[in-house]
Amino acid sequence: MSFVPGQPVIAVVERIEIKKLRHGDNLILGFSIGGGIDQDPGQNPFSEDKTDKGIYVTRISQGGPADEAGLKMGDKIMQVNGWDMTVVTHDEARKKLTKKKEDVVRLLVTRKTLEEAVKHSKGKYPRP
Amino acid sequence: MPAEVKQEQSPSNATSLAMMQEPQEVVEETVTIEEDPGTPTSHVSVVTSDDGTTRRTETKVTKTVKTVTTRTVRQVPLGPDGLPLPEGSSPLGSYTDSIDRRYMKNGSDRFIMPQATSTLTRSYNNSYNDSYGDTHESQYVRHYGLHDGYADLTDNYGSLSRGVNYRPPRYPYMPNSYRPENSYTLPIRKDDYGHVAQPQVPMGSSTVDLNRSQPERFQPEPYGLEDDRRSLGPEEEEPYELEPDYSTANRRTLPGANRGRTHREPLRDGPRVRGYPDDPIEAELIDERHPYIHGMYSAPLAQPERGSMASLDRMGGRRSPSIDSIRKDPRWRDPDLPEVIAMLGHPIDPVKSNAAAYLQHLCYENDKIKKDVRQLKGIPVLVGLLDHPKSEVHRKACGALRNISYGKDNDNKVAIKNCDGIPALIRLLRKTNDMEVRELITGTLWNLSSYEPLKMVIINHGLQTMTNEVIIPHSGWEHEPNEDSKPRDAEWTTVFKNTSGCLRNVSSDGAEARRRLRECEGLVDALLHALQSAVGKKDMDNKSVENCVCIMRNLSYQVHKEVPGAEKFQDPSTLQAPGSAGPQRKKKDDAGCFGGKKAKEEWFNQGRKNGENDKNYDTLDLPKRTEPSKGFELLYQPEVVRLYLSLLTESQNYNTLEAAAGALQNLSAGQWTWSNYIRATVRKEKGLPILVELLRSDSDKVVRAVAIALRNLSIDRRNKDLIGSYAMRDLVSNLPSGQQRPAKNLEEDTVVAILNTIHEIVTDSSENARSLIQAQAIEKLVAINRTSQSARETKAASHVLQTVWSYKELRNALTKDGWNKSHFQPTVTATPKSTKNGKPGYDDTTLPLMEKNQDGYSTIDQRDKDCKYKTGDSSVDLTEREPLKNDTNRKHYIRSNRPAVSLVDACDVKPQPVDSWV
Repeated sequence: MSFVPGQPVIAVVERIEIKKLRHGDNLILGFSIGGGIDQDPGQNPFSEDKTDKGIYVTRISQGGPADEAGLKMGDKIMQVNGWDMTVVTHDEARKKLTKKKEDVVRLLVTRKTLEEAVKHSKGKYPRP
Repeated sequence: MPAEVKQEQSPSNATSLAMMQEPQEVVEETVTIEEDPGTPTSHVSVVTSDDGTTRRTETKVTKTVKTVTTRTVRQVPLGPDGLPLPEGSSPLGSYTDSIDRRYMKNGSDRFIMPQATSTLTRSYNNSYNDSYGDTHESQYVRHYGLHDGYADLTDNYGSLSRGVNYRPPRYPYMPNSYRPENSYTLPIRKDDYGHVAQPQVPMGSSTVDLNRSQPERFQPEPYGLEDDRRSLGPEEEEPYELEPDYSTANRRTLPGANRGRTHREPLRDGPRVRGYPDDPIEAELIDERHPYIHGMYSAPLAQPERGSMASLDRMGGRRSPSIDSIRKDPRWRDPDLPEVIAMLGHPIDPVKSNAAAYLQHLCYENDKIKKDVRQLKGIPVLVGLLDHPKSEVHRKACGALRNISYGKDNDNKVAIKNCDGIPALIRLLRKTNDMEVRELITGTLWNLSSYEPLKMVIINHGLQTMTNEVIIPHSGWEHEPNEDSKPRDAEWTTVFKNTSGCLRNVSSDGAEARRRLRECEGLVDALLHALQSAVGKKDMDNKSVENCVCIMRNLSYQVHKEVPGAEKFQDPSTLQAPGSAGPQRKKKDDAGCFGGKKAKEEWFNQGRKNGENDKNYDTLDLPKRTEPSKGFELLYQPEVVRLYLSLLTESQNYNTLEAAAGALQNLSAGQWTWSNYIRATVRKEKGLPILVELLRSDSDKVVRAVAIALRNLSIDRRNKDLIGSYAMRDLVSNLPSGQQRPAKNLEEDTVVAILNTIHEIVTDSSENARSLIQAQAIEKLVAINRTSQSARETKAASHVLQTVWSYKELRNALTKDGWNKSHFQPTVTATPKSTKNGKPGYDDTTLPLMEKNQDGYSTIDQRDKDCKYKTGDSSVDLTEREPLKNDTNRKHYIRSNRPAVSLVDACDVKPQPVDSWV
């Protein structure tokens, strides 16, 4: 889903809802993120487009809330509870995910397999 | 080149994006809707922007959705930094149209955003607000728009009429600038009224609806030029005659920003159009009620958003035949760059500010535009606007200057300086209390400070002002603290961060710069207070702290030679010692050609003498002061040791760690009373284990700074013994074994620094040499000596080996391990290697420690030059001390050593990849 200016963009997103696990004082989502506009996008192993400074899921703790909710390593997080995650700093993303007062986070994520799955199930995209 | 305020720039951009995306909150809600029956896959939303045909199935609209939308909208206002603003202060939250949508749009176009500079933001608001009143489909669409563009719009447009009847809620806030002056029209290039101006609606009946509102176009305009034509808002956004160079579409290619932005940009226009009254008559009525609306509408060219909108439109329009026909309509176009620059001089203030904001937008990450602005003489005009009494104007001008000043093109920075931009910025800093303007000013100064020739200019014009206006107030330090009140904590504001970043850059500009900063009243005191406050609050990882520590480190450099009255504190034993200043210089000259054995022996002698002295210092009490020290004296008081050690213990920020270690390194260098105290204090404060621990750091530069600090600390004899006993293994483990680098893969400079430290430790201590052997170091050293590709590593390893072999009492043990004399002799190739490298032999171990110490700095990773600042310094200092060596050559070497790009901003902008568990 890399983006070419002036070209149509197709993105398939999945909505994932993760209920945080309470562990003492901490709320745990069970995954880790990388990326952000303050990070070097070239070092992101998951992005197709190496200039993509989006937030990506870098690790998932097995059996954790994120794992159970279906989050996958390499997913690109588009939104967290409606907040855009495509143009945020790493820390902003982390903060949005770890708000203490929120027990649930709703993510919009995109990943390549999703895109392909949809393409297959739906046939062609309309093209002029 | 030192790092610039990359963040500085991104804020506006990021902000705008973030704002645009706010509705995602709404989107989130719509996603829920999506799960309603009828959606093919409940969790997957597909968006295509290819053409009008969207595959998304419509979702049902419910009241609740609408409510949710409203709520979320208001919740999400973002400030200029992309973070939510407190309720009430948010432009989004407080803003709504009180008259009608168009009105609202106008208002929002210009005044809604606190940072009107970002066009995307504003335009987003427009669409957002417009669609606000619309049916849920539109929201739905908006959601999808995120991922895509036009196709969805069709759906929405279908529902246009419905949306029209919905009146958005009224909010009390009225942009204060609903004035006709806001509008500004560019002369139309062609009179072509044959075309019906159309909004960027891709197709469908909605287009027709929209066309019905055309009559508004012909409203008289308040003050437009006579031949101006006015058109309705939607038309303005049409991409007529976009200048490709200036189109934001190009800029859209920004890495990372792409997705968020582009996907939803096309949406902006759709909903907006829908906001129009369906009925032409009604539209006209509205127009009559607010005749100036048109004026506002016709001001598109002066608005920053234009560029982005137009480009977006273009993207969308390409897909739709109807749009294509619209695009041929030549009546509306974006202003070209000369026109924008000309508008900076327009008699009407809002035009000026809009033009400046547009310029800022255009310049964002576009070096060509920056250059064009410079060549079109736009920079002096912008600088002139800094003195404009209206805050809107000087703010936008400042924003534009900040973007222009950012980047590798130093000519832009010079152009700002040449038209006295630096004093103008400082003047404005003194004058304004507007936090946002102050952020922009200090951000610009930070950018300017990255260019060496401007550093002294900034110091001359702005040092005391920045200190008084920003550093001192935000540091929490008070000149005469009230005994009763608790000391204030530092506030890590953006202004403070920017200003400290600027000072951090200028503090690297050589001895004179250091002198000026040290003597700047209150600066050192305030920085120390801020750092102490950071330690107290355990908030040590932020950029401001990093900047402060770096300034302190730089100002600590060469204190023993540079501070007034330093000669009084010179260690008498050093003065008597044969290896003091004069011989040191000689040694340095020898260095590089030969091993300089004689010099080395002199150095040994000196070390031995120092060692003896240090024994006394260990029992020596620190000097009693009659009055508290202040100003630059604070730099080298033993009390700072605890501060730096706290930072070394607690901070997770590699740059801060490195700077704190560097500060200790600088303070423990030199032969004067204070460095003796510092060395002893580090030991007494149990700092040695902390430093040794950091030898295991993953960060190359931290290891390097710590290694050099340990080396200076081991001038103190007891420190040397302790380091020899406890640090040897950690030092050795950082060495590469043979061809294979250790896991850390340290850079050459670091390896050389470690080898030199080891050399210092084993020198004059057979006990430490024995520890070295026990740490299995000989094998590694021999391997480096024989096989390293680096001449400097080879040489440094060779010196260690020679020293070890010089202890006759150890030879037995060495021979037992299978080593013989040949292993400890310099390899034949050593000399050729060094010439091949072309590096002056200043890392030769026979150099006096102090000088070498500087070299250690100067060779520190150049990507971090701005963090180190030592490079420039040491070159200068070396020239002073070492006339034989050419300063410029040296610099050249340093520069050419690494990719030029990384000199610019790698340090701050691209930290190690962060990975956070959540």
